[in-house]
Amino acid sequence: MSKKVFVGMSGGVDSSVAAALLVEQGYDVTGVYMKNWSEDLPGMHCPWAEDVADAKRVAVGLGIDFRVFDFQKEYKQNVVDYMISEYQAGRTPNPDIMCNQEVKFKIFLEASLAAGADYIATGHYARVAHESSSSAKLLRARDDNKDQTYFLYRVTSEALSKTIFPLGDFTKAEVREMAKERGLWTASKKESMGICFVGQVGIREFLSEYVKTAPGNIIDQQTGSVIGKHDGAIFYTLGQRHGLNVGGGLPYYVVGKDMEKNEVYVSRSIDNSNLWRKELRLADIHWINQAPHKDKNVQVRLRHRGALFDAKIDGDIVHLSASERAVAAGQSAVIYDGDECLGGGIVKTD
Amino acid sequence: MADELIMTAGATESVNLAFNAANGVSLISAIEHDSVINSAKACSEVKLIPPMKNGRIDPNTVKKMLTPDVGFVSVALVNHELGYIQPIEEIAEIVKAERLRRQENGEPLPLIFHTDASQAAALIDVKIKRLGVDLLTLSAAKVYGPKQVGLLWVRPGVTLKANIFGGGQELGLRSGTENVAGVVGFATALELAQKRRSAEVKRLRKLRENLVKDLRQAFPDMLISSDMKKSLVSFLNISFPGVDAERLVFLLESRGVLVATGSACAANSGTRSHVLASVGLSESEIDGSLRLTLGKLNNDENIKRAGEFIIEAVQAEMKRARR
Repeated sequence: MSKKVFVGMSGGVDSSVAAALLVEQGYDVTGVYMKNWSEDLPGMHCPWAEDVADAKRVAVGLGIDFRVFDFQKEYKQNVVDYMISEYQAGRTPNPDIMCNQEVKFKIFLEASLAAGADYIATGHYARVAHESSSSAKLLRARDDNKDQTYFLYRVTSEALSKTIFPLGDFTKAEVREMAKERGLWTASKKESMGICFVGQVGIREFLSEYVKTAPGNIIDQQTGSVIGKHDGAIFYTLGQRHGLNVGGGLPYYVVGKDMEKNEVYVSRSIDNSNLWRKELRLADIHWINQAPHKDKNVQVRLRHRGALFDAKIDGDIVHLSASERAVAAGQSAVIYDGDECLGGGIVKTD
Repeated sequence: MADELIMTAGATESVNLAFNAANGVSLISAIEHDSVINSAKACSEVKLIPPMKNGRIDPNTVKKMLTPDVGFVSVALVNHELGYIQPIEEIAEIVKAERLRRQENGEPLPLIFHTDASQAAALIDVKIKRLGVDLLTLSAAKVYGPKQVGLLWVRPGVTLKANIFGGGQELGLRSGTENVAGVVGFATALELAQKRRSAEVKRLRKLRENLVKDLRQAFPDMLISSDMKKSLVSFLNISFPGVDAERLVFLLESRGVLVATGSACAANSGTRSHVLASVGLSESEIDGSLRLTLGKLNNDENIKRAGEFIIEAVQAEMKRARR
């Protein structure tokens, strides 16, 4: 009997092709739309109904079962509330990482296994090397440009052992081509970016719905003088240089903020020490299998699709081999050993 | 006649304009189109008239529910999902009697009777005198005319209230430059419909009978929700309980057969048809429901083929569900 796979279908082209490939590989496939968010917010239309219809059209075309799993409560609690409270604490969280950890590779996995699945699958660009029935390694996608392991570093080895990534060996262009060849309904659908519920309007409008904000001062860190006004320190993140509403001359960079005082500190100097780090302290460290030895040469990635920097890991400290542009507290440092994603942690302020 | 017709940008706008004149409680059928239900709710307190199992709005029920606080009654001439042709003349008689009673008793609340005849005009002679209504809505799109054109017929003496203000066109009830091309197209479409009506009704009746026969032969247990005697010949609402009709919609769409469903599907944002629920269909009957609409583009050949595709699709889905 063929193995049963529940594939997460978002209504996008990637997960559509993932489902099609699984069918062709002989799996007994069920498509699942995870309904994580359905609310419209002022100026923001949530396209869940269109997305679930698209996903179902593809599933029907492939002749596979299709189900909707409702995870709205869990998503609100574990992803949205987390995101809002992180912003309120002055950090810059990554909700996609949280969604993978808490929803896709946890409750979706659990619900699928409970419904009789042997594996789950998603349209992520990543690869997995199954080691045993309960452990696996996470590997970078063949397409370096699309590699999504940065978002997957908090998934457990056990969850990965039950996971298939059908797109790991393909480039985005190849995936689009495969969708076209197969006449999939979603073949020419536009890419959705980032967290779906924020949609086109951005995080600023989303946060404004949930958090009370007040205007405050933008202060030049060197001179200590107030050089402008901002509409809420929550909206600003380390290294940011746009949207500061302080015109003229060289650009200003955000080099820090004080949430209590609702103040944002800026500098004109790209050499400002706050913008560069040679050491990073991590919190909530997660290793997929085990921690690398402290003498081992590893690579660290500080942003999705960002460069890989040489580093060594000692406990909760990342020692970079050279100073690099700092990332805001709340962002993730993801650790690699060549192709393998080992895990990582969340950057702390020091 | 020109001062009895308000040209609008479609049936929805006509209905909105009609309800803007509502005083007191609005008494509407529970199976009205969303444009009627939502206009009624926006303008007044609403009481819903429950239909009979076949979709009929029983004039006796209307009579019982037509209390002195009702100021507006609205029942569609043809229901938009089941196709049931309502006894509008009989309801009009009841409304007239109540109006008379109020006059004699010196009760000041006016009583207006509106019918949304959008679904009917292509195949039923919409003689206003015969129907006995005060307001009547028509849509050009439903008689193969241009989209975004509609009208509201107003019996002389009925007072409406504008909800679009401006230069005073359409008796001041619907300001804005007249959509001349649309209106001419609408008139032509109505003339053509009038000319072809009796032959077209016969033709579609035969097509519908053949389609039902083919489907019935393949699926003896198929549920037919449309009343085959009292529904308009262009409507056929059927159901295959246990089958997910939205899958049928998608399968058929890929083969060029366009049908609709009342299921709680994604396209309906997860809500089931209030019409099918009101006539007592269970959730699985609603989720398995298909609404087939026949029209001038259909002929023996393509209806035969559509029937075959529907049978194939339903059989495939029944097999998948059993697996």
